[in-house]
Amino acid sequence: MSRAATQSGTNLGRASTPYLLILPAILFSFWIIGYPIYDLAGMSLRQVNRFGLTAGFNDFNNYSRLFSHQLFIGCLIRTLVWTVCVVGGTVILSVPIALILNEKFYGRQLARVIIMLPWAVSLTMMGIVWRWSLNGQSGMVNATLYQFGLLKAPIEWLATAGTAFPILIGVGILVSVPFTVTVFLGGLSSLPSDIFEAAKIDGADGWQRFRHLTMPLLRPFLNLVLVLNFIYVFNSFPLIWVMTQGDPANSTDILVTWLYKLAFRYGELGMASALSVVMFLILLALTITYAMLAMRNERST
Amino acid sequence: MENPVRKSLLMWLALSPLVIIILFPFAVMISTAVKPHLEVMAYPPTWLPTEIRWQNFADMWEAARIGPAVFNSIWVSIAATILCLIVAIPAAYATARMEFRGLKLFRQFLLVTQMLSPIVLVLGIFRLMAKMGMVDKLPALVLAYVAFNLAFSVWMLQAYFQTIPRELEEAAKLDGASSFQRLWLVFLPLATPAIGITAVFIFIYCWNEFVLAMTLLRTPDYNTLTLQVFSLVGGRYQIEWEQVMAATLVASVPVAAIFAILQRYLVSGLTVGAVK
Repeated sequence: MSRAATQSGTNLGRASTPYLLILPAILFSFWIIGYPIYDLAGMSLRQVNRFGLTAGFNDFNNYSRLFSHQLFIGCLIRTLVWTVCVVGGTVILSVPIALILNEKFYGRQLARVIIMLPWAVSLTMMGIVWRWSLNGQSGMVNATLYQFGLLKAPIEWLATAGTAFPILIGVGILVSVPFTVTVFLGGLSSLPSDIFEAAKIDGADGWQRFRHLTMPLLRPFLNLVLVLNFIYVFNSFPLIWVMTQGDPANSTDILVTWLYKLAFRYGELGMASALSVVMFLILLALTITYAMLAMRNERST
Repeated sequence: MENPVRKSLLMWLALSPLVIIILFPFAVMISTAVKPHLEVMAYPPTWLPTEIRWQNFADMWEAARIGPAVFNSIWVSIAATILCLIVAIPAAYATARMEFRGLKLFRQFLLVTQMLSPIVLVLGIFRLMAKMGMVDKLPALVLAYVAFNLAFSVWMLQAYFQTIPRELEEAAKLDGASSFQRLWLVFLPLATPAIGITAVFIFIYCWNEFVLAMTLLRTPDYNTLTLQVFSLVGGRYQIEWEQVMAATLVASVPVAAIFAILQRYLVSGLTVGAVK
């Protein structure tokens, strides 16, 4: 900072260079992301008709209607269940997979490519294919289970309230594993190998090495994965929209799908903007927590 | 010490449940895409078709109008990737190489925009585009895709840029190269791999994006590929699943292939960005 300050004292032209370089990025973000936030915040406090014309302030009426809506609590709880289950399931699955893929074995490269595949294919396509696979009459999931004698009568997986949401969570985990494994793999390859050798010589067994060396050293990667996955999964829209659109009877609606319906199907723009603001604040709180955690880590190391 | 063959078998055995579940939808795609229509609807369905109907692909291309959608996706993705790099590279260069007041603030600003997914702001973005008269226009998607990829791109690029030794530029400076020459002839060539990997990530994001395309586009002629395939299954009574699966195959295979080929670079690239 002090060097930059002295430079700016002697050479004004050079000191402004970094600002010129970041200016386009800032303007772009304010234009396409900043303005919508501002617009949504303003709209959430006003009376809005279904064509988006706003009138005066309405005493947080949009918020009180949102919070007292019969679907709000359900969607909120499902969002929590969805996020915690998908993120938790993903991390629990990804650690052992990353450990396996980090070993040397025949066909490791092929295994890595297969595990990464769902990441490249879009969530929309994954949703469409799974929706078809889970079809009650002609879906291959039922057909396969039937062939192995695991099923007697076809199940309408996505049209049954009890099975639809768990299935979505399963697919959600499946598509989140590749990214998570990738980050862990990167983490594993960056670990210093000599301390593992030393621990081995000192007689630490595999589990001890994992608990006392691998996991603590992977900690920063674990934090990163938790936060990024939380944000992705919390915001995850295409999978649910393509597979169930929140049906049957709103039993698979999470906040993002409900938000879309409020805004573009029911024309409830006031409530939709209020919900956008609420979700923005949740994400902001999370990001700030993460930033503070990251900064504390930086200071302690 | 350990038998490598036995070890490999064990590893593959441990991975097998996941491998099967991952490959399952691809098998379904391929199997359905080449089945005759009557067999697609048959109960109980079988994996192998009695005859392989390549005609499904031609039908899908024509009837489902995949051709124009592929074209739309390609141009939106390329335009967004190039524009995003043009905006992100200077910003990343500044954050990686220069010290300035507000650098930390800028990084925090990036972090905040990174956490926002289009869905949370979709109503606001729709209103912004409507105000600018850009609803149902592909450039609206380009602008939005650039904005939502900026934070990630700057973050990735600056992590790479920091790994390029400054000494090379300083040596060029001693040799009398101007700052533009140093940037153009020394720095950027060294940064090309990083820029390439970032470009691949942006491109795949744009190629796969769904929410904004669904919200901002109205005319079917402008549909991107993802949206067009979705429109084949959304809100129709009669879904021609063999065509839909042929279309998902066409939409998925190129990206999956790029990914598989570049996988190693993408992984190491992402890690450099992630560790920072």
